[in-house]
Amino acid sequence: MREVWIAGAGITRIGRRGESLSDLMAEAAHAALRDAGLERPDAIVAAAMNPEEFVGDGNFASHVATHMGLAETPAMRIETATSSGAAALYAGFAQVAAGLRHRVLVVGGEKMTHLDTPRVSELIGRSIDPYERSYGATMPALAGLVARALIARNGDAPREMAQIAVKNHANALRNPYAHFHRSVTIDEVMDSRMVADPLRLLHCCPISDGAAAVVLTAERAAVRITGIGQGTDTLALRHRDALTSFRASRAAARAAFAMADFGPERVDVAELHDAFAPFELISLEDLGLVPSGKAGRATLDGETALDGRLPVNPSGGLKARGHPLAATGLAQIVECVWQLTGRAEGRQVPARVALAQSIGGLATNNWVTLLEAS
Amino acid sequence: MRIETIQGSRCPACGLTVAPPAPFCPRDPVAMTSVELEGAGEIVSFTTLHSPPAGFRSPLHLALVALPGGARFICHGAETRGLRIGSRVAIEAVNDVYYFSHLGALDRARLFWRRTGRAGDRVHAIARSLAKRAWKGRERVSS
Ligand SMILES: [Zn+2]
Repeated sequence: MREVWIAGAGITRIGRRGESLSDLMAEAAHAALRDAGLERPDAIVAAAMNPEEFVGDGNFASHVATHMGLAETPAMRIETATSSGAAALYAGFAQVAAGLRHRVLVVGGEKMTHLDTPRVSELIGRSIDPYERSYGATMPALAGLVARALIARNGDAPREMAQIAVKNHANALRNPYAHFHRSVTIDEVMDSRMVADPLRLLHCCPISDGAAAVVLTAERAAVRITGIGQGTDTLALRHRDALTSFRASRAAARAAFAMADFGPERVDVAELHDAFAPFELISLEDLGLVPSGKAGRATLDGETALDGRLPVNPSGGLKARGHPLAATGLAQIVECVWQLTGRAEGRQVPARVALAQSIGGLATNNWVTLLEAS
Repeated sequence: MRIETIQGSRCPACGLTVAPPAPFCPRDPVAMTSVELEGAGEIVSFTTLHSPPAGFRSPLHLALVALPGGARFICHGAETRGLRIGSRVAIEAVNDVYYFSHLGALDRARLFWRRTGRAGDRVHAIARSLAKRAWKGRERVSS
């Protein structure tokens, strides 16, 4: 297997954007290509979770390649629900590692804010098991079941969940690309509107537009992908034993660390999939970044803050940077690259090894990527 | 009180039991066999949706219930007041939609006697008086 390096990274401002999805993806892609000093890649891997329904465009790899002026570059689209960006990174990684391609552009994006919240919730909900959906289960509903189980295990979980939102909003204040630039307090989070009891509005990520891209290459660059792992689980939540740990995250981490040949103790900074605040607590433990049962304490003690032992979601995370579905897995990688190369202006942490974790659906198709500065 | 029978399936390879029935085990590529499950169990988790999808009444109560035999089942409920993880609930079908209801002590006792297979008025009367005492005791403790 050849070594795979990241030669360029680009991202759009995340938030409510007036541009089309293909405009946003072109903006991120061109930024990544510029950063890599590359005019044309050998191939494109594009990710959008549901452009057919969000924006009404199909044949999307060709659509977006043509739009960005690369109609003659071979392109394909990858989809694993909300982790599609990370899955696209894997597809690009595999092409370069196998020696099939030399330089691959990976770009992901989503355009959502032009639709009303019930419609967005319905479209995201398509990734839920049909029987559970027939009972009105939405992503927040299933996350609400998970959050209640977490609280039953640990009575302090409501404060810990709130602190995740407080921390990630504070980090996003320092990220010019983030959706939110406002801080929140623990009380504001705990008093915010109930969405899916015990999950409140400020525990949940916003609806965002945006895109992110990286250029992968077989030539040595500043950051190397040292491990990528995928983990999966049943579509239906009711077919699983555990609610407070995700098999898909544990399996993805195991595979990524095995490929990288090192353990979680080497990770200096992490971008985790905090679509709902309890997921950051669960993920910290599933990935082995903190001992089982200690994620809440570590969070309240500031271990995962920007100046802590292991900064988590310096970008603001899905919670405050925003979550334009298929952009997210790549937005995490862009933040990791910037952290590893000293370009995370205003929120730079000392780091040589970074971890990104992306959750697809209700943890049915998850990815863990490990990056190392050269 | 009538106890609903819920159709499910069990995997001959790993023993996973699911409801409603599924042709294949989600974890093994093998055909599942049909089983009947008793419609009463324990709350695994529950939530109340305050902005449910179109076509559902707000607020929408949803629970994940562990049925005897291990299957977990998703259902609606009329309310979640007093409900806890571990609470015993009965499941009832109304127009093919399943609802949970919190089992009081009386219902739990009835369920117990039904399981032991000793039906009849005398047993029922004993159950009723036992359950009443248990219920009163519980009320005092919880109030
Ligand atoms: Zn099985």
